[in-house]
Amino acid sequence: MLLRLEVIIVIYLENVSKTYSGGVKANDQISLTIPSGRIFGFLGPNGAGKTTMIKLITGILAVDSGRIEVNGIDIAKQPLAAKKQIGYVPDTPNMFLRLKGIEYLNFMADVYDVSLDERQVRIADLCRRFEMTKVLKNPIQSYSQGMRQKIVIIGVLLHQPSVWILDEPMTGLDPHSSYVLKEMMREHVNNNNTVFFSTHVLDVAEKICDEIAIINKGKILFTGDMAEMREHFRKNESLEKFFLELTHDEQ
Amino acid sequence: MMNNKTWALTKVLIKNGEGLSFKLNTKKAWILFIAIIGITIPSLLFGYIKFIELIYHSLATINQQGVILSWGLAINSIMIFIFGMFYIISSFYFSGDIENFLPLPIKPKQIVGAKFLVTVLYEYLISAFIFLPILIYYGIYESAGLLYYIYGLIVFALIPILPIAFGALIVMLIMRFTNFSRYRELFKIIGGVIAMFVGIGLNFAFQSFAAKLDQNTIGELLELGNNSLSVVTSRMFPTVRWAAQALLDYKIANGLTNLLIFCGLSAGIYIVLLYFSELVYFKGVVGLSESSARSVVLDEDLGKLLKKNSVIKSYTLNELRILFRTPIYFLNCVLINIIWPLFIILPLLITPDDPTQGDLSMLLELLREPKAIGMIIGITLAAITFIGGSNGITATAISREGKELHIKKHIPVSYRHQITAKVLAGIVLSYIGVVILILIMIFLYKLPWYLGLLLLVIGILPTILTSFTGILLDLYNPKLDWDSEQKAVKQNINVLYNILISTAAAALIGVITYVFKSSAVLTIISIIVLISLLDLLLYYLVYTKGTVRFKELEG
Repeated sequence: MLLRLEVIIVIYLENVSKTYSGGVKANDQISLTIPSGRIFGFLGPNGAGKTTMIKLITGILAVDSGRIEVNGIDIAKQPLAAKKQIGYVPDTPNMFLRLKGIEYLNFMADVYDVSLDERQVRIADLCRRFEMTKVLKNPIQSYSQGMRQKIVIIGVLLHQPSVWILDEPMTGLDPHSSYVLKEMMREHVNNNNTVFFSTHVLDVAEKICDEIAIINKGKILFTGDMAEMREHFRKNESLEKFFLELTHDEQ
Repeated sequence: MMNNKTWALTKVLIKNGEGLSFKLNTKKAWILFIAIIGITIPSLLFGYIKFIELIYHSLATINQQGVILSWGLAINSIMIFIFGMFYIISSFYFSGDIENFLPLPIKPKQIVGAKFLVTVLYEYLISAFIFLPILIYYGIYESAGLLYYIYGLIVFALIPILPIAFGALIVMLIMRFTNFSRYRELFKIIGGVIAMFVGIGLNFAFQSFAAKLDQNTIGELLELGNNSLSVVTSRMFPTVRWAAQALLDYKIANGLTNLLIFCGLSAGIYIVLLYFSELVYFKGVVGLSESSARSVVLDEDLGKLLKKNSVIKSYTLNELRILFRTPIYFLNCVLINIIWPLFIILPLLITPDDPTQGDLSMLLELLREPKAIGMIIGITLAAITFIGGSNGITATAISREGKELHIKKHIPVSYRHQITAKVLAGIVLSYIGVVILILIMIFLYKLPWYLGLLLLVIGILPTILTSFTGILLDLYNPKLDWDSEQKAVKQNINVLYNILISTAAAALIGVITYVFKSSAVLTIISIIVLISLLDLLLYYLVYTKGTVRFKELEG
């Protein structure tokens, strides 16, 4: 167990701020370093700025100020190279509904330049694990919410990205798929890769994460591992209420 | 007949973005609106008024100038009928909101009534363009009194009712019987296509019937003078006749009688529509969004399903798949390309028994005249420009992404490539329309094949033009916040903008054709040079300003 892999900084944020056109500050002067080999949870109540943060890292939104690097590549300077490092699962899987599952997967493979041989292996493997092979020729529209989630996850993992970014990935998944995903996340980081995911459920964060950051109202309140988090909450009374809110959110 | 629920529902539909709710909430949107409307509308209107002037004064020499009113009303009705048909199929059967209404205690006639009223409101735009200038021009030149304008206002308000109700009746009837099988959505699309053809076919049949009937009487009516000809021209849509007569005779009691008949008939048709909807509407709608069991993929078959394409090809194919498979997009973006060229077949179907007789044979003769080459090319290219601009494929290409635009921002495909793929989808589909149009001209109208070939080559230029203008418009002013696909294409002002711009471009081609009418070579070269220059300019704008704009869009 004491095998030590070299820890590399995979996601690097420096003083990142984002204000929406309405003047609402979604992210305020955020600095964050996420190392390789970790499942990094991004925890905060709904509307805390988690999705905005993820959209900034994935290049969907541009920062107002600050700098973001993924595997050392600046997303503002080399957007396409940076985007290729990432496999991103958005929070709503309702996309490409008019396409068949297999058409969507072929499209994603084309977009990420996955060779025919590679896609053969990976689609077969991922579809088997998520039990999706049978329905590949059906339109995504006919899929249940969980199936849609699964096909999206398969699609973004085809190019074997080193960084996974998942926005609320457990929502809508059945227990089996949720278990498979957690297992895959663990495998992924064991190979010295990185998983970054957001959740508003403390329980999910506790069970999966190696490290977490807590965000509220666009500011990061805490970063560290689970034991440090509990310690931190105990000492800081104002945070305790916040902690309760997160716990309450589980219901 | 108009109860509170219908009215309440109508208001909800309008507020919810059906009909004309164009939000101009940014400065950019306002500038675009003012720039496009401010330039195209006045110039198109100017040309149109010149045209009215010409017709009015030619008719006045035979003391038949009143005919212009019934012509105006008839053309207006046909346009409303055709556009209304598209609108009704989309709004009655494919808009997402129907699902929300079904569980509510609302009667079919209330939904149909409300959606009908919204459609009527929407079609006032057409009347404002086509009929209103004629009404006012005639009024001014005849020094008409206040009563004329009051009658005119009433006619304006009620004129869309018959064509829309007629379209709605056909659509509801056909949808009632195509609502079956597990491929429901496909059948709905086919139903929509059939409805379109039945409607347009019937329309032309009525006309040819009226034309035949009146061959002999026209001469007599001509001699009578005093606008007696208007009786003939208004047979296409029956109510047009009373509306026109009311306006012609506004000074005497006969005008009022005709107006009352017109109002009564319009109301009657509306009531018939509502009662009819009680019988068939829900049966055509229920189960629309049900999906069905499909084929099963076995592990060993997976390999056969995999296929590698270049990014642009893959992206373009995706765009096309979505356009073909989403009923609303199919009707408004794909089908419209095919419908327009097919219009020119219809005159062939309704000609008298002997095709060598009548206007059509004259036209066929004309097509083979060497002198007419420039004109044929000019008019065809103008038509292609108009058709390409009216399909709305690129003018809604960004809007159609809606709330899922973010996907296109995190995939590692440059914005330049993405724009190219979207423009390509527009060009491919527009060009299919061009091919159909030219094949019809070659095989049915005996257009010399070398001219057809020439048109096929030059025809690509206007499709590039309208695809570029569309994507630029949509990049600058996308409508991303929608909850039903209907809103992305039917209530998207960019489509209207692109129609206006392409109509203006078509008019410009028309002017060139007219100016150089003495030399076909000069006509063709001038048009090619003009469109190529515009294409180059737009190419530059799309790949500089356009890509920057795409980057700035926040999904």
